[in-house]
Amino acid sequence: MIAVSFVAGAAGSLLGLGGGIIVVPVMTLFLHIDFRTAAGASIIAVIATSSGSAAAYVRDRLANIKVGMLLEILTALGAVSGALLAGRLAGPLLFVVFSLVLMYSLVPTGRKIVSELRGRTTAHKKGDAVAQDRLALAMGLEGAYFDPSLGRVVEYRLRRVPLGAAIMYFAGLASGLLGIGSGAFKVLAMDNVMGMPIKSSTATSNFMIGVTAAASAGIYFSRGDIDPFVAAPVALGVLAGSLFGARILPRIAGVGIRIAFFAVIAVIAAQMLLHGLGGGR
Amino acid sequence: MKASGSRDADPPRGVEVAVSLVLRVGVVLSAAIICLGLALLVARGIISNEIRIDAAIPYPRDLGALLAGILALDPASVMSLGLVVLIATPFTRVAVSIVAFALERDWRYVVVTALVLTILIAGIIMGKAAD
Repeated sequence: MIAVSFVAGAAGSLLGLGGGIIVVPVMTLFLHIDFRTAAGASIIAVIATSSGSAAAYVRDRLANIKVGMLLEILTALGAVSGALLAGRLAGPLLFVVFSLVLMYSLVPTGRKIVSELRGRTTAHKKGDAVAQDRLALAMGLEGAYFDPSLGRVVEYRLRRVPLGAAIMYFAGLASGLLGIGSGAFKVLAMDNVMGMPIKSSTATSNFMIGVTAAASAGIYFSRGDIDPFVAAPVALGVLAGSLFGARILPRIAGVGIRIAFFAVIAVIAAQMLLHGLGGGR
Repeated sequence: MKASGSRDADPPRGVEVAVSLVLRVGVVLSAAIICLGLALLVARGIISNEIRIDAAIPYPRDLGALLAGILALDPASVMSLGLVVLIATPFTRVAVSIVAFALERDWRYVVVTALVLTILIAGIIMGKAAD
């Protein structure tokens, strides 16, 4: 269980996912742990991943804390409503809807991978060219970080912030309902919609996930769904994995992360669809 | 930070240092407490070779039972305390950010961050009420 958690943590911090999306299926399918207990442990793992890696990302300026804080308003609202709604909505339907949304969202990411592999490594410059929207300007959302793999400082500006924020609400909703970090949605909102460089998107997603997860973790804890015998080893494993992931992220090229991201989302989407069509079993 | 200019050369700002510190301390503290709990578990011989996932060992489900368990050095309670510290870390991070943004006189973000904290706290209160 600790080994699975380590891998989930490393993958989570590299991809901007909470790791819960790996922890929950493995625990329920292979270790036969009750779903509520798995979701409770998962939400803990999600906080561990986020905090473990975000501490480094914030200091390195990879994570944009202003963007994170602003969008957390929406993810926290979503997480609270999700955790309160959990169990009152038809689960299978939600799984199907989310898997379809994830599949749809793979299209632009796939296009970018293709264009990047053809040698047009313009991804990190996209932020320079776009005009900021009014909200981004008013809230000072522009950012900059040093990218060792490019050997220079990458500056960026953001657009379509309101649309990104709207997606964040649904990311939070999914998190609260399913006990996942839903970093996938967060990365998509920042990378594809708002035009943030992929490394900043994953780092900022990690930064935000902790707050999203904490919003529902309190509710899970008060329900008694956090079993320390499951959650404690999972938290330790994921923590170690996420520290490892945060250490190697700055040295990996952006396109590699995007391909890994694409593959993970494809697997998750298929998993969610099967789960939903199977009636939530 | 209003002007764009050469902000890249700046050292990390107060908010970034404070947030990073809170996250680091929270995570290390939580991990240490969880390890202590696991050590107690081994010491008491509750587990031998591997952790018994499906065994119905009782564990505290609210803060009152948790406190009593910690005083009795109950392994499950000590591990739960570590998990509570982990859950509390993002809350603390948000609270500390409010102060850090206020010290920088960035009132826009004092409002934003205070709103986030309000939602987090309201969520727990509503969760208890709905339980």
